[in-house]
Amino acid sequence: MVIDLDKCVGCQACSTACKNENNVPYGSPDDQRMRRDIFWNKVIAVTNGKYPRVNTELISMPCMHCDHAPCVTVCPAKATYRREDGIVVQDFRRCIGCKYCIVACPYGARSFNSKEQEEKEYHRPDLPPDRSVWGQWPFPTRTHGVVEKCTFCFHRIDQGIKEGKKIGTEVVPACVEDCPAEARIFGDLDDTHSKVSHLLSSRAWIRLREELDTKCKVYYLLR
Amino acid sequence: MGLAYSKIDGKSKEFYILLILFSIFTLIGFICFMVSYISGHHVLGSSSIIPWGMPITITIYLIGLSAGSLILSALTYVFGKEEYRPIARLAVYLAIILILGAMIGIALDLGRPEKTWRLFMFFVLNNMRSMFAVNGILYGGYFLIGMVYLVTIFAEKYKFITLMGKIAIFWAALVHMGTGAIFGFIATRPIFFSPIKPFEFLAAAMVSGLALLMITVVATFKFTKRNLNQELIFSLSRYLRVLIIVLAVMVLVDKLTHLYSPHRDPTLWLLTGPYSWIFWILQVGFAYILPVLILFHPRFGKTLKGVMVAAFLVVIGIFGERFSLVIPGTAYPLPFYPGKIEGIWGMAGSFPITPVESFMSLGIFTLMGLLFLVGLKNLELLPVTPPSPQRGEGKGEGGT
Amino acid sequence: MKNKVRSGSKEKEQNGFKLKMDRRKFLKWSAFTGAAVGASKIIGQLDTPAASPLQKNIQKTFEEKWIATSCLNCPARCATRVRVVNGKAVKITGNPLSQVSEGKICPRAHIGLQVLYDSERINTPLKRTSNKKGKGVDPKWIPISWDQALNEVTNRLRKLRENGEPHKLLLFNGLNTVSSEELIFRFADAFGTPNLISGDGLDSETEKSGNWMADGHYAHTAYDLDHTNYILAFGADMLESSKPLSRFLRKWGKFRREKPNRTKVVVINPRYSVTAAKADEWIPINPGTDGALAMAIAHVIISEELYDKTFVKGWTVGFDSYKNLVLSQYAPKEVSKITGIEPEAIQRIAREFAQTQPALALRGKESINWPEGSFTSYAIFCLNALVGSIDVPGGVIYQESPQYNEMPRWVEDETTKKGKAKPSLDFRGTDKFPAAKVVTNQIPESLLENAPYPIEMAIGFNTNFNMSSPGPDRWDQALTKLPYYVHLSPFISEMALYADLVLPSTTFLEEWGYDHSPPGSGFAEVKIKQPAVSPHGSARPIIDILFHIARGLKGGVAQSFANIGDHAEGFVKIRTEKLIPWKDFLRKGVWMEKDYEYRKYDRIFHTPSKKFEFSSGNLKVLLAKTKKGKGEGSDYLPHYREPKFLGDKEKFPFVLLPYQPLMTIENGSQNYPWAQEIFLPMDGVGWETLVEINSETAKKLRLKDGQVVWVESPFQKIRAKVKFSEGVHPGVVAIPSGQGHTSYGKWQKGIGVNPHDIIGVDYDTISGQAAFFNTRVKVYKA
Repeated sequence: MVIDLDKCVGCQACSTACKNENNVPYGSPDDQRMRRDIFWNKVIAVTNGKYPRVNTELISMPCMHCDHAPCVTVCPAKATYRREDGIVVQDFRRCIGCKYCIVACPYGARSFNSKEQEEKEYHRPDLPPDRSVWGQWPFPTRTHGVVEKCTFCFHRIDQGIKEGKKIGTEVVPACVEDCPAEARIFGDLDDTHSKVSHLLSSRAWIRLREELDTKCKVYYLLR
Repeated sequence: MGLAYSKIDGKSKEFYILLILFSIFTLIGFICFMVSYISGHHVLGSSSIIPWGMPITITIYLIGLSAGSLILSALTYVFGKEEYRPIARLAVYLAIILILGAMIGIALDLGRPEKTWRLFMFFVLNNMRSMFAVNGILYGGYFLIGMVYLVTIFAEKYKFITLMGKIAIFWAALVHMGTGAIFGFIATRPIFFSPIKPFEFLAAAMVSGLALLMITVVATFKFTKRNLNQELIFSLSRYLRVLIIVLAVMVLVDKLTHLYSPHRDPTLWLLTGPYSWIFWILQVGFAYILPVLILFHPRFGKTLKGVMVAAFLVVIGIFGERFSLVIPGTAYPLPFYPGKIEGIWGMAGSFPITPVESFMSLGIFTLMGLLFLVGLKNLELLPVTPPSPQRGEGKGEGGT
Repeated sequence: MKNKVRSGSKEKEQNGFKLKMDRRKFLKWSAFTGAAVGASKIIGQLDTPAASPLQKNIQKTFEEKWIATSCLNCPARCATRVRVVNGKAVKITGNPLSQVSEGKICPRAHIGLQVLYDSERINTPLKRTSNKKGKGVDPKWIPISWDQALNEVTNRLRKLRENGEPHKLLLFNGLNTVSSEELIFRFADAFGTPNLISGDGLDSETEKSGNWMADGHYAHTAYDLDHTNYILAFGADMLESSKPLSRFLRKWGKFRREKPNRTKVVVINPRYSVTAAKADEWIPINPGTDGALAMAIAHVIISEELYDKTFVKGWTVGFDSYKNLVLSQYAPKEVSKITGIEPEAIQRIAREFAQTQPALALRGKESINWPEGSFTSYAIFCLNALVGSIDVPGGVIYQESPQYNEMPRWVEDETTKKGKAKPSLDFRGTDKFPAAKVVTNQIPESLLENAPYPIEMAIGFNTNFNMSSPGPDRWDQALTKLPYYVHLSPFISEMALYADLVLPSTTFLEEWGYDHSPPGSGFAEVKIKQPAVSPHGSARPIIDILFHIARGLKGGVAQSFANIGDHAEGFVKIRTEKLIPWKDFLRKGVWMEKDYEYRKYDRIFHTPSKKFEFSSGNLKVLLAKTKKGKGEGSDYLPHYREPKFLGDKEKFPFVLLPYQPLMTIENGSQNYPWAQEIFLPMDGVGWETLVEINSETAKKLRLKDGQVVWVESPFQKIRAKVKFSEGVHPGVVAIPSGQGHTSYGKWQKGIGVNPHDIIGVDYDTISGQAAFFNTRVKVYKA
């Protein structure tokens, strides 16, 4: 995924759309104070400088789906693993909730689901669009006691592959689809014709925490 | 050779009081566990920023104690030091119940304890690159080895005892180095990340296991009115002070290395931040400086009281060492991007103490205490009181 | 020999024995391996998806549909598509056919699901049984039937008409669909009351008046953001609270990196907003001095002859007097002292603005909602004309209105005529507020003083003025005094707490309607609203309620509401059928006019001279009518006057800057965890109100970051946590609005504070816009 920080408007639609799409539990004020709230995608504000020469970057961070993911290395139950196509999957059935992956993740992308969602009435009480797309279907909600993280909406991707749609243009994760500024681009890094390849070759990019050599796959284009 | 062991009567009032007390708290601990199982870990004060809290800290502490205890039993059975034979059985049994407590601790800390069986599906469903999974093999094997070891000791098959003892030392060392590796191999957390962690943990295991063993021995012998050769304790205390110095040196090297970039900021935060009191007072003060001062003191260090105080300080202090590793290690905010990260994402984690968590943790300890008492009553762990020297049978020889 | 034979056989035996051993070993090992493989297969089976307990129970019939509708969490009214599964709305996303925002929606649209499924919505009409009214006072609601409720309302309305006092009905119009609003207007007209008060007077009427003075359009400004190359934003929170927000969010991405020239954005604001963070330059300015800066920029542009001579000569009047004023009084050096911006910066920005074509000067609430705000607005708007950015690609454009099917004129009988002739409660159009179309915040005084006459009954449609206005306690008092108040909204808002009768109206996902964005993309676009799900409880759409009441009133009112559809769906169909066939509208959700035509200079200026006026003829005519006195020529030019602050500078050293974060849902409720969790992105927290102060200033006050402080104005005080910020002007205290709800909602009640509580009451003299930013405060430890 490529996130263009110059186009990004810091609106947090990505976080909200993700919560909607994946039925991510929301937390109460206490949950936020105790840092139990769950975010699959978070927007952080990083400030440098002093008045009036101040700069705040608003950076949206999904799971980085690293190729050398520390979380994949440390999961004892093979609940998180890297798929062929590069997505780091979180299998909620296998997860035993040992939280080792949360300790290992350098991006704080993982959250521990520590209580049942209070109100289950709305959003996602349903099956996926196509019942043959089972797998690690994470809906309607996860149980408490497991670790959750952004899945690059693999339910959409798998469904899209099944229907022969083009990934990156016709099928994208919810955050990419609902970003009003179109600052998020999703696609096949190995495909030289994809938009992500084009962007990464024409603009200077960085990845977060490069010093940890996670070979993460979310690239940021700077302002 | 020739030392006889017996069970304790276990009929005194104190015994029953302790038994009941332990049972009550174990039950409370179990209820707390059920509460957390049903409504989720939020009752434990768990969060996504400090995912590992009291149960894991206690678990790694207990593993250390267990490994240390088992290695010290080898003093007798492998290295043939006869003066420690009276306490060797106790050491092995203590090691077994400690590791049992540790494994229960792990199971309690899991988000989904009913899936604990997944930790034992080695190579089939486990990712063996994960130190957690490797530790599964190590702890399971350790428990089995410990049981076999104890059985061979009771059966008094000396050839097997020595063999098991050798395996036990080796495996116990691996176990706690494995626990250290769980932390030491995580690059994300600068306070954890260090190749010396396995060795640091092993040294801590020896120190804490030895100290706990000393306290347990003195207390048990006192309560069951058996004579204890104080020289035994004093010689152990001499081992203890050397081991503490070894441990302190390892920790010093580790922290000194981390004070250089790129790990300087988190380490400074550990040493001077909100959690620094755990490091300085509990870890350095209680576990290293005070015990060494006491044990090297010409007068105080040679009294039983002094040694016990030192051992007690060590036991608390090494727990503080585990705590000051786990909590500040995960509380330090991750530096996603250079600069000041605003709000909750840049805040250091806080560790709330909830009653459910505290009682659950207490329950683990009281469960082990319960098992200890039951074992004392039903297994021949303690040596029979040797006859008084007037009978002229010499030291070290068995009596009734 | 014998030995050999014996040994041989022994060897054979031994061999046989070895073989046996090997075989035994082999069997042992193969059995073991087999068992291991078998075990791992069994374990593997246990691990497959099919066995998951979660999925066993979800075998029900599955019905999915996508409904095209639109959002109403803010006045932008973006077109959306809602995915409905088994009768439950589960996802909201944009409608790609809409061109206002190219099919994109802002985050608030997603929160529509939480608005719809708010568990604390009202199910039935509620009647008040407690005599006391006040904040925190329990009204002791009892549920009554719709028939009872509507009969009660209709009877009271009928009595007003029978007594010949229809003007004593006060209607409050909040955030409603255009279709609902048009029927509310119709109802007011047919009933005979001039007292229809919308929330516009709290929004940005000064933008409208500034436009009107220049080009005669008393309306919000539309911009052609696709092609602009330079944006100079005066206090405009483009990415947080503009109209329409989604359009700015989409176009930002477009003009930054989807065209050959990257648009440069310069933000002028006392506060480092999200817009400023994403912009290229942030220029902090002394609060209330944006007008001076605009004039100084004009000074540079005019003195260096960088203005668009063709446009100015051909299509403007009043340039000479404007030029004289600008050059004589607004040199950058002088203005620098007023604004706190270095003269070199003013010159540089002015040159960049004039020389990067096409350029746009935007205004936002923070620069123009001041006592002289209309003139500031006018001054900033004139910059666009100076550089020729009027009705050109990349410049200011003029929003076309959709030509809905005309309704027959409402029936005006004698009662209606008499009522309509009475002056309205808010003194609009009088010399107090000559150009105003509505002076929302005047109402409490008028009600409390019974001026110009007492009010008998009021109906509020989705309003919450006693939270969104400056001086909300006056609203509370006025609402307490109202003899009879009916409130329509889906939940008990702070204003509903003072009602005698609350009618549960539907949310925007449950009703029929049509909408168009206030300023949109230039060409007309209409969006449908159709119910995605059936209404919650017994909630009814506002349109249906109005039809019912109108029919009940009989006479002229009923006739005015006849033959226009009889119910919401019918009304929407009749009005929009002319534009697009009904079936297509239902399916597509959006209708659009043809492309926009630029440079309509011959007919776009609604001014006396039919040209763009640097010296406002419209204002001159209006002031002559209302003020009776003679104004001087300079009174009709854009100018800057030092703002009048409420509060003495020594006692109240800081200027309060209340701002609206993006996550504020503008329907009167904030009871939505998705919005609350991420309420303040620049501060990285949610669920609270923070008092943002410059870190140096805060240190001088000897405060600690995160400490609870009082912020006190001459009128009230509020208490919240302080936040040290590098992005706030040293003399300013910035506080986000949106929290501080007290009437209902476990996700909002008692959370945060409302900065409007401490703002004093002041108005822009021309448009009646409530001034929000000229209150002074002091800050101290709590």
